[in-house]
Amino acid sequence: MNKNTKRVLGVVAAATLVAGSIAITSAQAAVKSVTLVYQGPLTGTDAQTGQDELLGAQTAVQIYNDSNPAVTVKLITADDQGDGAVAGTVAPGIAQNKNVIGVVGPAYSGASIASFPSYKAGRLTMVSPSATRVTLTDPKSADNGYPFFHRVVGNDALQGPAVVRWSTDGVSSPKVYVIDDQTPYGTGLADAANAYIKLKKITKVGSDSVVQKTSDYTATVSKIKASKANVVIYTGYYPDGGALAKALNDSGWVGTFAGGDGVLNDAFIDVAGKAAAEGVKFTAPAVPFETAASDAQQAAFTKATKLKSAAGHVYVTETFNATNVFLTCIKQGKYSRAGIQACVATGTFYGLDGKTVLRFTRFGEVVGGAPVGGFQVVKGVIKYFGAV
Amino acid sequence: MNFSVVVSQFWPLLINGLALGFIYVLISLGYTMVYGVLRLINFANSEIFMVGTFATVIVSRNFFGFNQNTDPLHGFRLFYTMGLCLLASMLVSGVTAVLVEIVAYRRLRAKGTNRLASLISAIGVSIILQEGVRILTHSVPMSNPRLLRKFSVVTIGDVGLRVDTLIVIVFAAVLFFAVDRFVTKTLLGKAIRAVSMSEETSKLMGINLNRVISATFLIGGSMTGAAAFLYEMVYENTKYNVGFSIGLAAFTAAVLGGIGNLRGAFYGGLALGLTEQFAAAILGTQWKSVTVFLVLVLVLLFKPNGLFGEAVQQTRV
Repeated sequence: MNKNTKRVLGVVAAATLVAGSIAITSAQAAVKSVTLVYQGPLTGTDAQTGQDELLGAQTAVQIYNDSNPAVTVKLITADDQGDGAVAGTVAPGIAQNKNVIGVVGPAYSGASIASFPSYKAGRLTMVSPSATRVTLTDPKSADNGYPFFHRVVGNDALQGPAVVRWSTDGVSSPKVYVIDDQTPYGTGLADAANAYIKLKKITKVGSDSVVQKTSDYTATVSKIKASKANVVIYTGYYPDGGALAKALNDSGWVGTFAGGDGVLNDAFIDVAGKAAAEGVKFTAPAVPFETAASDAQQAAFTKATKLKSAAGHVYVTETFNATNVFLTCIKQGKYSRAGIQACVATGTFYGLDGKTVLRFTRFGEVVGGAPVGGFQVVKGVIKYFGAV
Repeated sequence: MNFSVVVSQFWPLLINGLALGFIYVLISLGYTMVYGVLRLINFANSEIFMVGTFATVIVSRNFFGFNQNTDPLHGFRLFYTMGLCLLASMLVSGVTAVLVEIVAYRRLRAKGTNRLASLISAIGVSIILQEGVRILTHSVPMSNPRLLRKFSVVTIGDVGLRVDTLIVIVFAAVLFFAVDRFVTKTLLGKAIRAVSMSEETSKLMGINLNRVISATFLIGGSMTGAAAFLYEMVYENTKYNVGFSIGLAAFTAAVLGGIGNLRGAFYGGLALGLTEQFAAAILGTQWKSVTVFLVLVLVLLFKPNGLFGEAVQQTRV
């Protein structure tokens, strides 16, 4: 290579570098809007959960966009009905939508598992506000969503013991009966509850596994009554939990009925009826929005959702927090899937109250875990009793 | 396996199994009567049940304005309200069944298409009805206000027989025997049986085939509607897919007893209800469906016409 050739190549290389830099800068400058998707059950029998969570995402985006940023955020929705089979058909479309840079969700564990292949292939980062199955972040499990799945809530390894503690709280000589709904979420939470029952040597008098969408619970009720259980823990979702609570109440059974976050929903009271719902206990790795939000955040909630208050809506705070993780990264100039992934994996984020620190472990759990709250139906209204 | 639960909970399991079985009996009439006259499995019957449950809920919630805070009713008001809910459920289900026959099956029948086309048409109607209601209700479950206070009327051992369970058993039994008598004793019933034996001969004998088939759908649909009302009285909830599992169970009951055969549906429904209850109690609820279908397969292996199919041929629809 002679001197002239070297000189020409040097000029070309320099020009290429400059052109490349200009192109990158122009591309970044051209970004005016990015898209986040909320994925959860917006229709279907569990629609209330998704509709509630969406309120939190809308509020976070409202606050962000109202701050007049250079890059605005568009929030779109993906309805998986909380069903793995549906999620498996919804996720590929989201993954292929190049405008989407992050998924707030999936809301449910089964739907998360079904969505993982598409999101892993599309290198799309997820931050779930409510998927609590342990295996989702377990490196030994085939179901884990590493390195794209994260969640801002405590998993069922925390909630399982909490639901046992909260349901047996104040019960002398508790005799516990555990029922799951055969879903990945329900069996996972039941496993965690059973492990804690065994660890603490609490008397377990029986268990059952009743498939979702069952209408007749009379055989299960007969078994519960025969077992003399005074505490029933149901690990499933509110449409079925409400029907079971009603059947138990109609049978004359007296005791504490409790469930996890899948059952925690105002619609539970409607399905079970007021008499059967009264006194029912729930746990959830959730803090009610109205107790944690500032006045400005409450105002933004009303502006975004046209609702006066978030009372009675679950996982609003957690969905707000999950959305805020992405918004924090966007504020830092991360507009691509790769940028978002790196930011979420290594960044430090803050919860609704501005104090709660959220950082993720390598496999997507919140560092240090997250508290699990206790709730109970009192005079027809679900009340929050703090961490349990 | 837990046999001790059967010892301590025998009466509740038996009574609840019978109540569930009687609901299956009424729904399976919708399958078995249609199969008897058309040799067609009316898959839309599960959705005919579903629209019946919604008719009951809509009448009590929207027509009467009851809600979850409404106290249970008493006396004539209770009788009148429940009567109207029952009537609405039977009417809506019956008319829907007739419309399904006219829209989805009649033309295919007139064109002489094979049964496979009708079968696909039946599945199509089922999906259309279910999805239609899903869209209209936004997939949200609807709860039915409690109209009847659920108290024990009789105590057997130390177990109370609840009033709603008793009503299901007595009312469903009365309805079944009324239909049975209707089919065996009335002129229209005889015409239905004649068509089920030979369509061609019936036509030659001057029987109006379309009228008889419409009547069959109306009766079968009405019985399914009555089952929907009873279901709502006991379980007080419905949703767009409520008919799927219960419809499948009722269809299984019809096959178990001998499809196309009224009394077969009766025995099949009761056998299924009891099997489900005791299997769930002894083996665990997760084994309920496995047990039921295992029993069905075994029965069909040895008695292809169903458990009671041959013994009650004379009452075939």
